[in-house]
Amino acid sequence: MSDQNIFDKLQNIDRRVFYWVLFITLMVPFIYPIGLPVKVVQNTRDLYEGITGDNINPGDIAIMNFGYGVSAWSECAPGFTVCAKALFREGARIVFMGSQYDVELSMNKLMNDAREDFANKVYGVDYVFLGYFTGGESAIAQLATDAWTVYPSDHYVTPDAQIPLMQDFHGWQDVTVVLSSDTGDVGSYFLRQWQGSHGTRLAEIGIAMNGSTDYPYYLAGNYFGLSIGSRGGAELEVLIREPGEATTAMDSINASHLLIVLAVILANVGYLLSRRKA
Amino acid sequence: MTFILLILTFAAMYYYMYLGKQGKVFKIRTLPAIQAIPEAVGRSAEMGQPVMWTPGIAGSLNDSTQGPQTLAAISILEYVAEEAVKAGVKIAAICPLPDALPLVEETMRTAYMSQGKPEEFNIDSIRFLSGQSAYMTGTLGYLQRERPASTILVGGFYYEAVIIAEGGNTIGAMQIGGTNNIHQMPFLVATCDYMLLAEELYAAGAAISANPDMLGSIKGEDMIKWLIVVLICVGFLLGAARITFLADLLRV
Amino acid sequence: MSNILKREAVFAVTGLVTVLMFVEYFFFPQDWIVASTIRNWAVIIYNISLGLGGVRLIQQHVMGTQRRKENWQFSALFLVAFVVMLLTGLAGYLGTGVATSNGIYNWLFVNVYTPLGSTAYAITGFYIFSAAYRAFRARNLDAALMLVAGCFVILSNAPVGEVIWSGIPAIGEWFRFVGQVPGMRAFEVVGALGMIAYGFRALLGKERGFYAGGAEE
Repeated sequence: MSDQNIFDKLQNIDRRVFYWVLFITLMVPFIYPIGLPVKVVQNTRDLYEGITGDNINPGDIAIMNFGYGVSAWSECAPGFTVCAKALFREGARIVFMGSQYDVELSMNKLMNDAREDFANKVYGVDYVFLGYFTGGESAIAQLATDAWTVYPSDHYVTPDAQIPLMQDFHGWQDVTVVLSSDTGDVGSYFLRQWQGSHGTRLAEIGIAMNGSTDYPYYLAGNYFGLSIGSRGGAELEVLIREPGEATTAMDSINASHLLIVLAVILANVGYLLSRRKA
Repeated sequence: MTFILLILTFAAMYYYMYLGKQGKVFKIRTLPAIQAIPEAVGRSAEMGQPVMWTPGIAGSLNDSTQGPQTLAAISILEYVAEEAVKAGVKIAAICPLPDALPLVEETMRTAYMSQGKPEEFNIDSIRFLSGQSAYMTGTLGYLQRERPASTILVGGFYYEAVIIAEGGNTIGAMQIGGTNNIHQMPFLVATCDYMLLAEELYAAGAAISANPDMLGSIKGEDMIKWLIVVLICVGFLLGAARITFLADLLRV
Repeated sequence: MSNILKREAVFAVTGLVTVLMFVEYFFFPQDWIVASTIRNWAVIIYNISLGLGGVRLIQQHVMGTQRRKENWQFSALFLVAFVVMLLTGLAGYLGTGVATSNGIYNWLFVNVYTPLGSTAYAITGFYIFSAAYRAFRARNLDAALMLVAGCFVILSNAPVGEVIWSGIPAIGEWFRFVGQVPGMRAFEVVGALGMIAYGFRALLGKERGFYAGGAEE
């Protein structure tokens, strides 16, 4: 270690130093916000326009899938909330469901974040929360053909026969649009079993990690819109003109992205200069 | 049209498998990751440390794109287990998938039996860690405590890939990765010494056994790839000329 | 049941289900009762496997505690937590049909389990950071080009990129929508073909491992 020059040291900074620097970098913007404007990209705009205006009629049924858990709230929840608000304001009826154990917590958060919109809606008529499902892709495929066999009752154990909205929802033919927000693959289940098989309109509100996988499907038209990570959530908040959690988080995202680029540049400067020296 | 292409794919693979059985020799390029498995086991034997195998939490057998990855990972587990038993190395299989657990047990037991050491099989070498967070942190804990000399991370992964792989890097383990999940490939490529990308994961079984049937199916797969390339090129040219019949046909 | 018969039974069931699902996917746009029943059974079998996993966990940790293996205290803690969550969840479920209606279950779920999960997810960022710092070196021209592209994509994902230089978002978008998409599509196509080939070999019993139907050397 002692005979390491500055270039070697640049390449071998202890990772704990970086963890602390990253932690501080992420925290500071919450205390001293910067507030840079967020530009809306086309895929997010297509998502928003696909669930508003002429693309949704009052009474249309939309499925919104909580494919994310509490751990991914920061990435998925803001965009999901905006989409729920937008659909409610168009008069759509929403079927909420989820593939994560903590879907009830995510639903509670949504109802809290969009409380003004939920206040005007009647449970069982304008929206229903079906809750957690298991069975993976088989369950999603079965949902398309016979939804009542996958969910014989809602999350609160009310039989489907007693829920007015469920009288109109039996399968893919009753659904106008599906919005899936995923940290995993549930969106791709809907892609294969709903969009691919039956042509149901589908959009994804995904985490940033899945963005590169989702782009080809968006460009091919399988997804009519795509929101990626916290940035996508912030863009949706811009479109609906209601800044929220994602907009707040953008400052931290700015700082962390800049930091990672600087760290990579630093390491490479050290690497290239030490190679030249050698 | 999709059905026709699928039947064509099956026909091509079956045809080349038939040719393989008739004695035609097919060669596939070497997969460095598969060749590195004996090296990884040997490293563990020298260091007196175990080998760790884990298939990732994404690969539920109920999923049409993730399940096959887990099955391919279990094929690789059989090979790793056989090599480990031969070398007298302990192997830890950390499986987060309840539906794959019986397959993992059966595969490990069979590997020990095939090497003539059924009494050495210990069911405790298979750990079930349910839930993504528990699996991730439990595997990290195992890495820190037991410090395996080699880790084999093959299968369907979600974000735990980068954490487990980086944890393996921290302890200086030799790492062999493999996944068909595009969103995790960059992380595994950055953190693993050897990598099986996309279809290499599925071809691993063929690379290991060099069975003519299996190699024939890969040859058939390659023929279909050529067909797809031709279709893409023709479609591109037709699309440039604004003739869409091929695109419309393939959409059926 | 002999091993051979076990394998033949597996292949018979797998083959039959495969054919039926193919037929349903390609020839039955509407619901087909046979395929629908099979899918329902797939869901049931998956849920049974969850129970199997739970039983396996209990076995593992009960043995660990009884034999006082290394870190047996954690096994004991696990068993306590398992029993508490199981009983409180069941109490809630049997009472109202919703597990989280039980106060203790809900409190443990909201205040213990979910923060732990969130923390585990948050660790990802730190590990990606250290992996990027350690691994992203311009060792050759290809790596250097990839690094430059990566920097543009990272900066274009954050509004700060546009502040640094107005061209960054456009270049980053080009990389995202034009540069990397062909590669992603190629991966998807070859991955899918590999899967089809694997499935085909498995159905014919030509694959290694569990599906080895006499193809083993």
